[in-house]
Amino acid sequence: MASIAAVCRLSARAASQQLRSHGTRRAFSTGQVSLAAQNFAMPALSPTMTEGNIAKWKVKEGDSFVAGDVLLEIETDKAQMDVEAQDDGVLAKILIGDGSKAVPVGARIAVTAEEGDDLSTLEIPAEESKPSKSEAPKEETKSKSAPVPKEERFSAPAPKSSASGASKSGAGEATKQTYPLYPSVQHLLKENGLPKEEADKIPATGPNGRLLKGDVLAYLGKINKSAGSEVAARLKTLSHLDLSNIKPMAQKPQPAPGKATAAPELPEVVEELDVEVALPISLKVVTEVQKRVQDSIGVFLPLSTFIARAAELANEELPRSQTAKPSADELFNAVLGLDKIAGKKFSRGNFVPQVTALPPTPVSTRISAAKKPDVLDFLTGKKAAAPKARVGGAAHVVGPLNVFSVSVPKGDERRGRVFLERVKSVLEAEPGRLVV
Amino acid sequence: MFRSVASRAVPRVARPVTQSTFCAPNIYFQSQLRRGYASEAEEKDLVIIGGGVAGYVAAIKAGQSGMKVTCIEKRGALGGTCLNVGCIPSKSLLNNSHLYHQILHDTKNRGIEVGDVKLNLGAMMKAKETSVSGLTKGIEFLFKKNNVEYIKGTGAFQDEHTVAVNLVEGGETTVRGKNILIATGSEATPFPGLTIDEKKVITSTGAIALQEVPKKMVVIGGGIIGLEMGSVWSRLGAEVTVVEYLGQIGGPGMDADVAKQAQKLLQKQGMKFKLNTKVTAGDAGGEGVKINVEAAKGGKEETLDADVVLVAIGRRPYTNGLGLENIGLEVDERGRVIIDQEYRTKIPHIRAIGDVTFGPMLAHKAEEESVAVVEYMAKGYGHVNYGAIPSVMYTHPEVAWVGQNEQELKAANVKYNVGQFPFSANSRAKTNLDTEGFVKMISDAETDRILGIHIIGPNAGEMIAEGVLALEYGASSEDVARTSHAHPTLSEAFKEAAMATYDKAVHY
Repeated sequence: MASIAAVCRLSARAASQQLRSHGTRRAFSTGQVSLAAQNFAMPALSPTMTEGNIAKWKVKEGDSFVAGDVLLEIETDKAQMDVEAQDDGVLAKILIGDGSKAVPVGARIAVTAEEGDDLSTLEIPAEESKPSKSEAPKEETKSKSAPVPKEERFSAPAPKSSASGASKSGAGEATKQTYPLYPSVQHLLKENGLPKEEADKIPATGPNGRLLKGDVLAYLGKINKSAGSEVAARLKTLSHLDLSNIKPMAQKPQPAPGKATAAPELPEVVEELDVEVALPISLKVVTEVQKRVQDSIGVFLPLSTFIARAAELANEELPRSQTAKPSADELFNAVLGLDKIAGKKFSRGNFVPQVTALPPTPVSTRISAAKKPDVLDFLTGKKAAAPKARVGGAAHVVGPLNVFSVSVPKGDERRGRVFLERVKSVLEAEPGRLVV
Repeated sequence: MFRSVASRAVPRVARPVTQSTFCAPNIYFQSQLRRGYASEAEEKDLVIIGGGVAGYVAAIKAGQSGMKVTCIEKRGALGGTCLNVGCIPSKSLLNNSHLYHQILHDTKNRGIEVGDVKLNLGAMMKAKETSVSGLTKGIEFLFKKNNVEYIKGTGAFQDEHTVAVNLVEGGETTVRGKNILIATGSEATPFPGLTIDEKKVITSTGAIALQEVPKKMVVIGGGIIGLEMGSVWSRLGAEVTVVEYLGQIGGPGMDADVAKQAQKLLQKQGMKFKLNTKVTAGDAGGEGVKINVEAAKGGKEETLDADVVLVAIGRRPYTNGLGLENIGLEVDERGRVIIDQEYRTKIPHIRAIGDVTFGPMLAHKAEEESVAVVEYMAKGYGHVNYGAIPSVMYTHPEVAWVGQNEQELKAANVKYNVGQFPFSANSRAKTNLDTEGFVKMISDAETDRILGIHIIGPNAGEMIAEGVLALEYGASSEDVARTSHAHPTLSEAFKEAAMATYDKAVHY
């Protein structure tokens, strides 16, 4: 498995390099019009990409394009990206069309030719690489199909990270200095009679292979040879987040399964849920409505739907919890003066009533703090793992008179009672409102 | 596993029901359901929890690179702590209180005589709010411009790809993302035994919104936040006492020479300091607040009276209610979300940046990370140099530094050169009659590569940018010294300090 992955990665790199080397290749092949048909492989748009989907070809077969034109859009697991042409040319043939899924990196997806080529007589070159094949035969075909020196292809720019990693990693290698030399470096070179070209031969320890004053001093033998790389190594450590010695926080005792999804931002969730507020509610009217609905349109709505919807309505704008301490956000809003605007006398509740047919059986209940009741959850029984307090499969709720109860933190009985009374009024008086 | 299957099942099962029965004009439920469907259907490339500096910059950056982005923010205002209750409002107060202080004590020497000077705190606060609201609106505009979806609500992980959002306006929705970024920031660490009410016992949040100038203020913690907010209220007339457990102010990164100088100058402005002192207890029960302190190494006890106590002992990552436990993500012992060098948590498509994770809690550090994290997602490589992140304290004079300080280098047994140049020898500082402070540069003894730069003085916060650039490029002090600096400017002091480091300063 590992070896296959490695091969895939290799071929991915080869493909992206091939993409990049289009430009250079063209330089080599000017005048060789008949040789110009080239395979266009699935490019790797990120180092980790192994396959992608072709969303859309932006250039049609036979159309010509210039460098910088968007050839096609590729979707990866990360994003949708445009692939730009590296060079001018003509799209001779699209081999893998729009909407193709999971095209491995390096697979041939099209054939390009040079402007002026006769597409009808163009010889389609053999596929250069198959990602599943091993590296060796691939290289053979490659060198046959395109007259590009092998070295040239593989000297294409390596991924930036490894390049800078190597130059930063300590020892320091002599690099061609492409930036203006630092004033101190220029000064030292002049002072010691070194020609400017000498700068490229001095092992450099600066960021991205830049030549520093210390490097010249070391080269001249004025300071310890390793001084520059030692400083560089030290600074390199500092340039990263120190993620050594991470001590994970001691695991809190595993919460009970029901509690697992408790979202602490809800102020009602207090450790002791000690008061239970209950109210008998008749479901007679509801069952009538239910029957009516079934008779008229033939859809059976479970009781749980009614109850969940009633709860949803009743949860709107409950009196503020007495026990809830002002959260950091509320204090924050108070500081900004936003509390007056919002008029937070009410807050949305998240009660889920526990329904028990009379006589009530003592079931330990707690507020399901997981999230607010979602009709969809009830409809699909999604929260099968949720606490018993859920109205889950309300099939057992049959009796006409049921006790609805919610447990609330001490001091919050009013909030709970208001909630239940609203549920009651909705369910007893006008449950039809819930479905029409 | 079960969850993801179930959530996919939802629309399929539920849709026929909606179509046949819910078509009647019950708008309330319809909108609820429809919202549910819409969010189930669309998967974003990136979902960001938190609209602070880390979150909003990442959102814009990702939008620019063509990703479909959603940013979830619960405050109802973007910009996070920094923009709403941190850096920005405090700088407004620092600037304006400095002007007031200067008019009271300084302008006379400059030949400007002002009559009756009065403080209108309400108007000063209003000026602050204008700055803040202008900036937050600006971010909303940038979101629109870069196609970032902005959801006002509290996000919590439902599963590895789904974030449930408790909307500010009521209701709930879910967002699915291929990548999820945790950028929930930090909150002030409370002091055990003192309940924050943001009126008498305040954090930095309350310190930018006091209704009147307190007579006596005690600041617990002599770090940057404590000294800045202490400065504001001291300038406006409060008697401020700073209690610090350690032997120096300014926090751990500040160079000891700079810290000593800063303390001296702040004392001159009227602030009092109790170093090596720990707070043992506090009582906010009565009219004011009583704070019991004693020498850190044990010793005499004392009770300080205050009208207002500012708790500024640091900040801690904020992950409350985020539902990390739902997806099994861990935090370290200080509450920081555990990540690797590419900001990935152990679930690779979930990353964390900013105050909620490791590194200094600075807005510009978070900003760097947000650019890098988006680059990691889109291109596979990002860049943040943690060795070149500046720190600034906006007192007067300002303090700014980058790189290592002298104590740290001594402890690491590194040989170094130090060059120092005082502003009292700088022409521009002299003409400004603002000559306190100095620039201190530290470079490697052998290679002369700059290791740290520490500035206390006027405009230090702006001047440090040059130092950061020098560090980023691996410059030697000679490189800086051989670079032309305009005359007459404060920045010449920077150049002269560089000269003093590898050779000799000219004007000192």
